Amino acid sequence: MFFFTIRRLLSSILVLLASSMLVFALCVASFDPLSAYRQRQPPPPPQFFEALTEQLSLDQPFFVRYFTWLKGVVTLDFGVSNAGTPVGPVLIERLGITARMVVAAIVLAILLAIVVGVLTAVRQYKPEDYFFTFLTYVLIALPTFWFAALLKEFVAIQFNDLVGQRILFTLGEQSPAIELTGTGSEIFWDRVGHLVLPTISLAMLSFAAWSRFQRASLLDVLGSDYMRLARAKGLPYRSALLRHGLRNALIPLTTVVALGVGSLLGGAVITETVFVWHGMGEYLIMSINADDLNPVLGWMMIAAFFVIAFNLIADLLYAVLDPRIRLS
Amino acid sequence: MTTTQQPQNLETGPATTTEQPQAAQIEREFTIKARSQREQIIRRFVRNKQAMGGFVVFALVLLIAWAGPLVYGFEFAELKPEDASVGPGTAGHLLGTDGLGRDLLAQIMRGVQRSTLVILIAVGISLALGLLVGLLAGYYGKWVDNLLMRLVDLILTIPTLVVLIVVASNFPNARTAIGIAIIIGIFGWLDLSRILRSQILGLREREFIEAAHALGASDRRIMFKHLIPNMLGSIIVWATLAAAVTILIEASLTYLGFGVANDISLGKLVADGVSAAQTRPWLFYFPGLMLLLIALCINLIGDGIRDAFDPSNKKVRA
Repeated sequence: MFFFTIRRLLSSILVLLASSMLVFALCVASFDPLSAYRQRQPPPPPQFFEALTEQLSLDQPFFVRYFTWLKGVVTLDFGVSNAGTPVGPVLIERLGITARMVVAAIVLAILLAIVVGVLTAVRQYKPEDYFFTFLTYVLIALPTFWFAALLKEFVAIQFNDLVGQRILFTLGEQSPAIELTGTGSEIFWDRVGHLVLPTISLAMLSFAAWSRFQRASLLDVLGSDYMRLARAKGLPYRSALLRHGLRNALIPLTTVVALGVGSLLGGAVITETVFVWHGMGEYLIMSINADDLNPVLGWMMIAAFFVIAFNLIADLLYAVLDPRIRLS
Repeated sequence: MTTTQQPQNLETGPATTTEQPQAAQIEREFTIKARSQREQIIRRFVRNKQAMGGFVVFALVLLIAWAGPLVYGFEFAELKPEDASVGPGTAGHLLGTDGLGRDLLAQIMRGVQRSTLVILIAVGISLALGLLVGLLAGYYGKWVDNLLMRLVDLILTIPTLVVLIVVASNFPNARTAIGIAIIIGIFGWLDLSRILRSQILGLREREFIEAAHALGASDRRIMFKHLIPNMLGSIIVWATLAAAVTILIEASLTYLGFGVANDISLGKLVADGVSAAQTRPWLFYFPGLMLLLIALCINLIGDGIRDAFDPSNKKVRA
């Protein structure tokens, strides 16, 4: 297991390095940090561009620029944006905001997926199964932003009217300036209130696919010989299902969840736009629109880091849960 | 996926249970109409209620989208300032109009037409690229396989939506349905190449491929005459499911401001509708429901095709 871990860790680092090169190539080809000046009227003199090109070392060869940038990234220095502010602190602050939504969505989606997956597998071809099957089909076919807007524009307002109090918030990740005026618990509940709808809209997407997967995986297990043995030796249905069935049926879900992290990060960009969160997604869209190279590079590196890290965790977890993987 | 498959010997069932003379029974057993593989697949699909339901509704939607404008009184680009922002049913506008007085139903019909084009172009490009990469990696193996699959792994470390945004931001002049379709197509082949590669790894060792080799068949012949026909099921299923993903991605890109701009597409209508949700809800509901309906139908068709090709396969998409 030790060598397995080391091997996987090393290969993950290599993948991250290769990925950084790909990201750098894509972004350097896409963004021109000088574009804001090029559109200026009257146009600045050519000397201005030459000076700036040299200052930003845009005239250096690709690999020189890449290694300069990489050296910074290793020490968590993501360079400065076009406006001159360091990218690293902004990214980390916004990462904290987005992480609230993404982590909450992952937890919610996993819990719902397990519950619904088990329910639909145990009650296969019964009304519950058909109902949830239909629901997951609809959720898979929904555009994220439309569903999020539906929750925001109609459900939230109806709900708040019904309760007679503003519980669900539709804009931002917290009320403006609450950290200056509110107490600790006020800030906490305010953030929770802002978190509910974005989390639901982000979680529903993954939940739909994951619950189908959980259903199939449990159905596989339910038909296996060891389940029949567990029942034959006199275990009650419930404990056979939970101790022998579900435990084994959960193993494949780890891989699926880990592979879904990338699409959740992409989905978070959309959800943040709908609910006007000031997180990573907003920063990405802003920077792309402003042709701002370093923030986009930083964003992609963080995304790649998490995707690779989750893949690594899933690999290791899988090996712990299923000894056959380790031994082969 | 909730359908049970008919047992293969269903046709012989009644003959053994009814009281028919022995001779007639034998006669019936040996004169069952032989069905080719293709006929069997089509039969299984036609008997799958959900899949056929999806198919019929999808066909109806396409029919309305193409035949509708011929009989409907309004043009999709026709501006009628006097009828701006009227609700459904007013002044002959079945689904109402937008802020410029354009008829919503006519726009949706046009949007479905353009979105179908988006699907065809994007899936076509992805299919070609995925086939190429999958065949090369799976068939030649060794370093080709390693190189191509590591490349796919690398691209997948960045969320696809973000890659699409960055690439689309480079081409501000390509904001038409066709331009966006090409961009989506260029990055849509990753999962297909993985699926095909793993299938070829299995098929490559089978006797019929070995036999083809022994007979001196060229690589190209083995790929196109032996490998691709054997993977046709997965390819068709992938294509339908990718079609549903394509229109959803097109809508998301458009919503974020990197998709269709100077054109009409279903995604564009849905994205524009979001900002009008409170004041003119019909602009929000109808395009969104239409997109949902199309994606739902395509998914049902795709799952039906998968069950039809492989009745033993009860796995679901994840």
